[in-house]
Amino acid sequence: MILHPGALALITGAVLCFSMTAYAVVLALKIIWHWDISSSSELQLALERRTYLISTVMNYVMGFEILSLFLYVYTLDSIHVLFVGAMCATGSLNANPIGWYVLYTRIAIFFLSATWIAINYLDGQAEDYPLVKLKYKFLLFIAPMIFLDGYLEIKYFAGLKPDVITSCCGSLFSDESKKVAGSLAGLPIKPMMYVFYCAAATLAALSALSMKVKASIVKYLTSFASILFFPIAIASTISFISIYYYELPTHHCPFDILQGTYNYVGYPLFVSLFGGSFFPVASGVAELFGSVPSLREPVGKAQKRWYVVSIILIAIFVGFSSWPIVFSGFTPF
Amino acid sequence: MFIYSIIVATLTSLLFLTQSLKKEAMDVFIEAPELIVQRMSAGRHDLIPVGYAEKILSIPGVSSVEPRYWGYYYDNLTGGNYTLIARNIDALHMVKGTLPKGPGECAIGKGVADVRLTDLNDVLFLSINPQQKVSLKVVGIFTADSAILTNDLVVMDKNDLVNFFALPKDMATDLIVHVSNASEVPTIAMKIRRDYPDTRPITRSEIVRTYENVFNWRGGMALTMFIGPLLAFAIFAWDKATGMSAGERQEIGILKAIGWETTDVLKLKFWEGMAISLTSFLTGSILAYIHVFYFGAALFAPVLKGWSVLFPPFNPIPYIDLYQIFVIFFLTVIPYLASTIIPSWKAAVTDPDTVMRS
Amino acid sequence: MAYPTPTTITAITAPSAIIAVEGVSKIFNAGEADEMRALDGVTLSVAKGSMAVLKGPSGSGKTTILGIIGCMTRPTSGKVMVNGKDVAKLPEHFLTDIRRRTFGFIFQHFNLIKGITVKENIMLPLYPTSIPIHEMKERADAILESLNIYQKRNYHVEKLSGGEKQRVSIARALINNPEIILADEPTSHLDTKLSEDLMDRLSRLNGEGKTIVIATHDPLVYDKPYVNRIIEMRDGKVIGT
Repeated sequence: MILHPGALALITGAVLCFSMTAYAVVLALKIIWHWDISSSSELQLALERRTYLISTVMNYVMGFEILSLFLYVYTLDSIHVLFVGAMCATGSLNANPIGWYVLYTRIAIFFLSATWIAINYLDGQAEDYPLVKLKYKFLLFIAPMIFLDGYLEIKYFAGLKPDVITSCCGSLFSDESKKVAGSLAGLPIKPMMYVFYCAAATLAALSALSMKVKASIVKYLTSFASILFFPIAIASTISFISIYYYELPTHHCPFDILQGTYNYVGYPLFVSLFGGSFFPVASGVAELFGSVPSLREPVGKAQKRWYVVSIILIAIFVGFSSWPIVFSGFTPF
Repeated sequence: MFIYSIIVATLTSLLFLTQSLKKEAMDVFIEAPELIVQRMSAGRHDLIPVGYAEKILSIPGVSSVEPRYWGYYYDNLTGGNYTLIARNIDALHMVKGTLPKGPGECAIGKGVADVRLTDLNDVLFLSINPQQKVSLKVVGIFTADSAILTNDLVVMDKNDLVNFFALPKDMATDLIVHVSNASEVPTIAMKIRRDYPDTRPITRSEIVRTYENVFNWRGGMALTMFIGPLLAFAIFAWDKATGMSAGERQEIGILKAIGWETTDVLKLKFWEGMAISLTSFLTGSILAYIHVFYFGAALFAPVLKGWSVLFPPFNPIPYIDLYQIFVIFFLTVIPYLASTIIPSWKAAVTDPDTVMRS
Repeated sequence: MAYPTPTTITAITAPSAIIAVEGVSKIFNAGEADEMRALDGVTLSVAKGSMAVLKGPSGSGKTTILGIIGCMTRPTSGKVMVNGKDVAKLPEHFLTDIRRRTFGFIFQHFNLIKGITVKENIMLPLYPTSIPIHEMKERADAILESLNIYQKRNYHVEKLSGGEKQRVSIARALINNPEIILADEPTSHLDTKLSEDLMDRLSRLNGEGKTIVIATHDPLVYDKPYVNRIIEMRDGKVIGT
């Protein structure tokens, strides 16, 4: 257990997010049971007003989750000095592997809640709100994730044992078996580079194709490509993008690039990656609803916009990833 | 809003204070020896035979071993606890005058100088009993900047100290081990422990880690104590936001009537909340900055500082860590925004025809 | 009931009708002890370009029907056609959209927002739209000019006289260039001179092609020769047109 101000802030945030989601779920259940768009009853009016509340709550939850994803990484970075052998945030995560799961659930929550907001947006474009029940059922699915995330986070911080001097001896000797690997091992650089550039090009090409071709299958394929691209891009960040930025062949930490030492290059890198992989997925999800008559037009419009945004973001991501490879003299081979 | 700023100021002061204490301590530890060897006896820190040094020196990678002599002295006269240390090769800087060059001389911390009303070239007299006493000429005084570690210090010649404390011959307080390659410190520490099972080697990184944890813990504890007031504040914010005045209801009704949608009012309310919380946040942070760095955190210092009887005058080095700011932001702005959601929504769903029904 | 209940008022759904209401009811607190039937099967229509008056005592339901026509509230049942589109069952988001594009409102109390300037008050309806800020300002200036209050544009509204407030509220109703202007008891807080002035302006706007619907029980309004349609209401029903 560590009582670090950052950990406290994160736990506060997790508790808040969870309470807000729980509240939204209660409201959502009422809507799922009683919703009737054709009714003009006061109950229906009240439910319609509630949809605004739920949307607002979910927007806030997503905002908070994104902020807490950043705070989480900063906190990991700040506490790594507490652990023997930890060189950066990765070391803090290895000190209690539950930390990794927190990172995964939080990324999952980002994509899920962003998808929810996208569906919510589409639904609001049609006069008959065709997706109301569906989107609130989806919300019921996201809620446990948020709960799990908060629970894991608390468990992570509670399970951390800083290596401090104990009364009998220095910590180093009290528990020699516990050695934290400070860094991530990266995948081989050259093949990873080929995979990365091919994946990025494929995704961009498919997105462009999806804008032209009507066939749903192309759009689903693009979504699938995008879901594949995300882990490939993360692996590439660890494998070669980071080392080009650090100019150290052994330093693979994907978190340090968020620091001022590296001109905060991690921000545009990760923002463009998350956004660029999200929008094709959102377009694919939207395609599922393209057959609803009142949604045909809004879906088409949104998809066009989302594909353009995604192509731009992927280009930015590739640009930032390639910058040091092209312009720095560093050669890890 | 005033209350909000005060809460932010309190929290920020706490974190600024722990942070700068931590930084100050860390700055000192940067110069601390990489490896200290203490001897343990009956679970307590005991004097170490100087003879251990030779064998340690023979461990490959060790460049030198230096015995250190130091101890605590309780001064009846002023009721203060001093740290007496024999001058060793670690030159302490920040000194006005010089370090003692031989027996009969000493350099003292600003705190000691103040309570004993001693200045350069005065004589400092220390006595435990009629047999153990010493008169030292003050040849140096540590400057006040960052007095946190030097405040209660009396640096003197080794022989003076050994006699004063009546230390047994060939015994030192601890040993400092210098290692040529820093990455070998853990290995060497392990070898020392193997050769002398009664010793406790402490590495610098361990000290740093322990201090880091201690300061985190203190900051965390202090924050935890503030969770209560923070909650109270959130409830207050909620209460204030829920109790919409007739005038405000009317205004929102007008906006709704002339073409604003619920979403637009929600956006307006969001920005309103942002404006309030960011203003308070900034005001609070500035107040905290002034409090901590210009007034030495007069309100909290006793809670968070060390145990020493001679309180070091605390002049923290102005230093802002963006991470700390972000933590405070997370602890204050986020709960505030969350607590405004439902009240804002209640306001936003005001029927547009309210204005016509009055 | 002293008045005969009209059983068949054929809805005038001629192409010229910009507003057509059919069998609209509005019940507040349905199913509860204090259930209130504000509107009971109202059917009426207003032709494009006309100047219509909803006439009736207070509590007759004329404000409620004005709110329904103006897409502020939805009826409990019935059909409401605005520009050929049924708005009775639209969710708020779309109602607001139509309201923004189609209607300008003039209220009984001027309903201006205190603490901000005349010009800001006038631009308020445009803030949620995507109209760029410089265009909003240009529009506001033009309208302020035409209503002769340009010189007061930077005053806070509480410093204005009754007549000036009146003109600001008209300016606000016009900023979105609406097809239809709805006015709820616009003369009830004005003296005769200002009331005449208001009616003058409204008739001029009507002359420019805007459809105008006024809810009132003020003879000064409904006795005007240029009012070309009077719909009389009582107890939530239309009793004569």
